[in-house]
Amino acid sequence: MTRTGMMMAGVWALFAVLAAGPAAAQDKPPLIVGAIYVGSVNDYGYNRSMKDGLEEMKKAIPGLKLIEAENVPETAESERVMEGMIQQGAKLIFATSFGHQQFAFNLAKTHPDVYFEHAGGWMQAPNFGNFFGATQAAWYPMGVAAGKMTKSNTLGFVVGVPIGYAIGNVNAFEMGARSVNPKAQTRVVVTGGWSDKAKEAAAANALIDQGADVVTMHVDSPATIIQVAESRGQDSIGFQSVAAEQLAPKGWLTGLGFTWGPFMTETAQSVIAGTFKPAMVREGLGQGMMAVAPFGPAVPPDVRTLVTAAADKVGQGFNPFTGPITDNTGVVRIPAGESWGGDKMGNFDWYVEGVIGKAK
Amino acid sequence: MNSALIAGVVTSSIMSGTSLLYATLGEIIGERAGIVNLGIEGLMLIGASSGFAAAALTGSPYLGIAAAALAGAAVNLVFAYLVVTRHANQLAAGLSLMFFGVGLSALIGGPFVGALITGLPRLSIPGLDPGGIGARLASYDLLVYLVLPTSLLIWWLIFRTRWGLGLRTVGESPSVAFAAGLRPHVLQYQALAWAGVLAGIAGAHISLALTLSWAEGMTAGRGFIAIALVIFAKWNPLWAIAGALLFGGAEALQLQLQAAGADVSPFIMTMTPYLLTLLVLVLWGWRRQSAAPAALGRTFVGVE
Repeated sequence: MTRTGMMMAGVWALFAVLAAGPAAAQDKPPLIVGAIYVGSVNDYGYNRSMKDGLEEMKKAIPGLKLIEAENVPETAESERVMEGMIQQGAKLIFATSFGHQQFAFNLAKTHPDVYFEHAGGWMQAPNFGNFFGATQAAWYPMGVAAGKMTKSNTLGFVVGVPIGYAIGNVNAFEMGARSVNPKAQTRVVVTGGWSDKAKEAAAANALIDQGADVVTMHVDSPATIIQVAESRGQDSIGFQSVAAEQLAPKGWLTGLGFTWGPFMTETAQSVIAGTFKPAMVREGLGQGMMAVAPFGPAVPPDVRTLVTAAADKVGQGFNPFTGPITDNTGVVRIPAGESWGGDKMGNFDWYVEGVIGKAK
Repeated sequence: MNSALIAGVVTSSIMSGTSLLYATLGEIIGERAGIVNLGIEGLMLIGASSGFAAAALTGSPYLGIAAAALAGAAVNLVFAYLVVTRHANQLAAGLSLMFFGVGLSALIGGPFVGALITGLPRLSIPGLDPGGIGARLASYDLLVYLVLPTSLLIWWLIFRTRWGLGLRTVGESPSVAFAAGLRPHVLQYQALAWAGVLAGIAGAHISLALTLSWAEGMTAGRGFIAIALVIFAKWNPLWAIAGALLFGGAEALQLQLQAAGADVSPFIMTMTPYLLTLLVLVLWGWRRQSAAPAALGRTFVGVE
């Protein structure tokens, strides 16, 4: 045989061995669930919160089988990965990152017997639902914490990609800060991507250079920014997962975390029972998907009370986006008497008064 | 322009320019020997992940640097075997090396994502007030302090030593080098080994000093910027210093300007460092191509 021939034979043999794979013939699980993460689950952030939710779901439904794939990029590659999970028998797929939406939707069309839940988007189909935390209003109590704890009256916010939902988060944060500290200003730096650690470190440094003494973020992993803030002696507020406190023993104030477990368990049970109903689910504080992280040692009791009260207010339906609200160029964006509800949270392309930055 | 902005830009450019400079220096050595290596991105990732893994396992960031250097050299020697001994196409082999590096680094770094390490400590000039602007401008980690001497050393090696002369001869014309009694293959292997060391250290700086973490693909294209910087630098280590500072500075400046409240769309701001690189390449690149080593991209096949 020629050398090429031998090489090809070897490659095919390898394929055959790998494709044979583990034999089936085990007890049939009630449901096989597939999940794709855009990053690593050890990110103290978004992916960690998704993993925690899925683990909770797995514990709640005995025998449930979970197939996971980390670091799945937001490209057509994700479609292949999800297809692979469907081939392995998955009947419910959680596409956990915003950019996975179109690809999961494509598969929903070709696999009408498989159910899909996408995090953070808007598309819907009979077998395709959407879910996310209603993050915007939840940032209001974070702003309250920052506004009370800042001494320089400058707050820093690192944003990954300036989509409407992220800008809404910044706006609610600033409004919360202003509600307890009328002089508080928020400076915004955009890194251009949900996860670029070197840029996040530089962005956090830039904000601290400009005087920010409380730094927070909307990126996939809060870790780098919190660590930079801690190393420069500044405070930080976390996002995505309540686990990030350990990164900043001195400077951690509080944070917002996602608690996906109950929703995921409910969804899985509905698939098993055959009662799946697609919906656009947005749950905020007090509704099950979001929680305020524990307070750090530096936060005094009176601030804790204020923050908890603000969080409860939001949980009971308080909407900070009630007019009149002016943007940071002086234009009235939400007139008196109007308010922007959950369906408009993706429409933000302006920052409120007090935010130093350009939204688009 | 307040002083906080200027100080911030200076420190940030130096910090982010350092890893670019190490990678560019490595590629300069390789290209001076006639080998173009498109896989620096992969080498940097391997350096970053091995360095981080070693630091997480042993608690010493210095062992991390050593591990990164060794891993970079080892992988680049594989590339050297493919390109120098087996005469594989350099561009294809380089790109394969990049993908290989992406995958291997993910494998090495996987168990360590989220680990908390002691990074490289910042060393300041003693006597400066720790909170003041002087201390902020003058406190960097070991790799930053070493990068300038390293560039000077490499300049001296390439232009003032016998070995460097041999290296450049191989890069200009391997047959002439062979006729003069040099061994082109050996020189190319040596060059690529050192290039691997430098690229590994470049990656280690990102994970051990800049971000103190590891994530897949964390170099975010810096390896490719280094390849462009080699052209900008006219294959001269001293010009590479300018190039790395320029690009590092552009990235630092756009972030600082955002923090200072510049009235420019954030999308345009994020683009600027890459626009600058393109501009530099267009304005200086094609003219400087004539400064490239004449035998760049070819290896010596021997005389029959």
